[in-house]
Amino acid sequence: MKRRQFAVALGAGLLLPALPVWAHHAFAAEFDQNKPIKLRGIVTKWEVTNPHSWIHMDVKGDDGHVVPWLVEGGSPNSLYRLGFTKDALPAGTEILLEGYRAKDGSNRAVGKNITLPDGKRLFLGGSAPGANGDDGAKK
Amino acid sequence: MRHLVESAFTATILTLLFAPASSFAQAPATKKAWTPPRTPDGQPDLQGVWTNNTVTPLERPKGLGAKEFYNESELAAAIEKERKRLGQAEEEGRGTEPGTAADVHYDFSQFGLDRAQANLAWNRRTSIIVGPEGLIPPLTPEALKRRAERRARVKGHEFDGAESLSLSARCIARPNVGPPLLPAAYNSNLQIVQAAGYVVIESEMIHDARMIPTDGRPHLDKNIKQWMGDSVGHWEGNTLVVDTTNFTELNPYVDAQNLHVVERLTRVDADTVLYQFTVEDPGMWTKPWSGELAMTRLQGQIYEYACHEANYGLANTLSGARATEAEAAKNAAAGRK
Amino acid sequence: MVLAGVLSMAAMPAWSQTSAYRAPRTADGKPNLNGIWQANNTADWNLQGHAAGQGPVAELGAVFAIPPGLSVVEGDEIPYLPAAAVKQKENRANWVKMDPEVKCFLPGVPRATYLPYPFQIVQSRENIMIAYEYAGAVRVINMGAPTKAPADSWMGWSNGHWEGETLVVDVTSQNEDTWFDRAGDFHSDALHVVERYTPRNADILNYEATIEDTKVFSRPWKISMPLYRRVEKNARLLEYKCPEFTEEILYGHLRKKGSK
Repeated sequence: MKRRQFAVALGAGLLLPALPVWAHHAFAAEFDQNKPIKLRGIVTKWEVTNPHSWIHMDVKGDDGHVVPWLVEGGSPNSLYRLGFTKDALPAGTEILLEGYRAKDGSNRAVGKNITLPDGKRLFLGGSAPGANGDDGAKK
Repeated sequence: MRHLVESAFTATILTLLFAPASSFAQAPATKKAWTPPRTPDGQPDLQGVWTNNTVTPLERPKGLGAKEFYNESELAAAIEKERKRLGQAEEEGRGTEPGTAADVHYDFSQFGLDRAQANLAWNRRTSIIVGPEGLIPPLTPEALKRRAERRARVKGHEFDGAESLSLSARCIARPNVGPPLLPAAYNSNLQIVQAAGYVVIESEMIHDARMIPTDGRPHLDKNIKQWMGDSVGHWEGNTLVVDTTNFTELNPYVDAQNLHVVERLTRVDADTVLYQFTVEDPGMWTKPWSGELAMTRLQGQIYEYACHEANYGLANTLSGARATEAEAAKNAAAGRK
Repeated sequence: MVLAGVLSMAAMPAWSQTSAYRAPRTADGKPNLNGIWQANNTADWNLQGHAAGQGPVAELGAVFAIPPGLSVVEGDEIPYLPAAAVKQKENRANWVKMDPEVKCFLPGVPRATYLPYPFQIVQSRENIMIAYEYAGAVRVINMGAPTKAPADSWMGWSNGHWEGETLVVDVTSQNEDTWFDRAGDFHSDALHVVERYTPRNADILNYEATIEDTKVFSRPWKISMPLYRRVEKNARLLEYKCPEFTEEILYGHLRKKGSK
């Protein structure tokens, strides 16, 4: 899969973002780039907070033991503008996560890519089953 | 939900493709024929929810020299290139190399925060900063000295405590809110509300409402410094002119001790406010610098961006730093054995 | 339900609790609530009547002891359900550690109204913004057709309309994390608040808030108080961005040893 730098300058230079994309928060200080992780689990809660939203999920280990994880995501405000509500990721939804572990070793990760079991990307390819996205909110 | 997201994407791409280059980009001083509506008490109406997100960078890209504007065909080519790039990125997945610091991030596109889903304004300017250089001017010798001293003081202490982190990370202030109001990577939105004698500009992040009196009062006394300074405004025809002083030395331009910002807001059509600004501080930069960009009407509204209340990232950053130090100390001890 | 604006032109409604003061109008014909206002009571310490008491920090002596104050609760009783009453006592005993105001968290409604800081009403035709000095809290009251919140928030979701001389604001979708005062009075995410702002004279508003929360209270209850205009020349809100004053409380335990 061809990978390309995010927001790369292309010739005319018109396409450089006006500000450094991650100016407000150094994620690499919080999560370890050398500790990639894949998780599969059940959402127990979606905290629609700022500056970042957080997905609480229960992950069952090989030993059958269930471990709660906390996954950092983006600000939900633009999701609201796209018509999503807090019910867009209900408890009980199964999700798959690729991301990076917290540096301090806790069960926390940043979710680089979150998908539903059918392969659709969360909030992009489709909403979670049982989600109430169609509340008539104007786009 | 899929259709909503897809249509947002498509609508934004159409905006990118077909938004006419704002006429203000040609000759900002030209008087527009369009007359803005008035508020019930007779002020030019700047009200609404606006976004100032733009593709134009703050400073002019290297190599363009004194070129202030792209011509129409250059602009059309750039728009087409961006459309292709965003379209491809959507298919191939946004690209950062696994295992790099840049890859340690949630995917903007999954939260509607990427450029494909933003309401970006195109214009023919090569940079927000106007003029032959299009760059922030050089720092004065005193400012260079202050900056060097400050950097020496903080070196090695980047993660000591909360106060070591940026104002943004601490949810105290976002420098792009200034003034001057500059774009943020996402949620680059603001709401303007007007009543007799006041114009309020509320930036979505971090729910910062700047109350601008237009009753001719003086600035606050100089002992009161504020993160967003102190703004007073007056009308010049259809333009709101806002004068801001009383900034702290830490925001929006660290080391500036005498910052003075003048903004001019003019509604140029139903869905556009022309935003112009001049920044000066003779103790900081060798000369003033000015810029302009368009604020376009946002389809949607501002939502609450409570920041400090759930700022787990700050705690996690400090605890991550403590873990890294402990690991380094352990390795050093093991190395010595 | 929105009453037709034409009602405000009729005789004063029978339920108006003050004499028939008719506030000056804004250019679009509504009672003019613009200005900087502030409560002048101890409701933020304790909504109910209370005697003076020892403050939480001994060294601050009389500068920061608990002042006495009259009740702002009609009937002077907050009707907690039994389990909630236990929780309130727990909150009160541990308020320094638990009160979100100590952490500079957004205060919610109605607490934002009677914090000991001014707030400003900016009233346009389409909406009414209230900006609070405390923590830069702000909310925009939608004066058009009522809308719904996509999620809970600290300051809630406000839909407003006029009933004669009174601005009525219906506030829903507040999260459960705010308190009503420093005495541990609290609510759940089922909180529903209806505020009423009625000009009493040129410089005073009568403020009432009816509070309903079926998970916490056995019935709705009401607070009321005057709000006073800040009449000094060039009165204005200043910045009280308080997060930096709470960093030691919130993050001090994560500080690098030996720093500061």
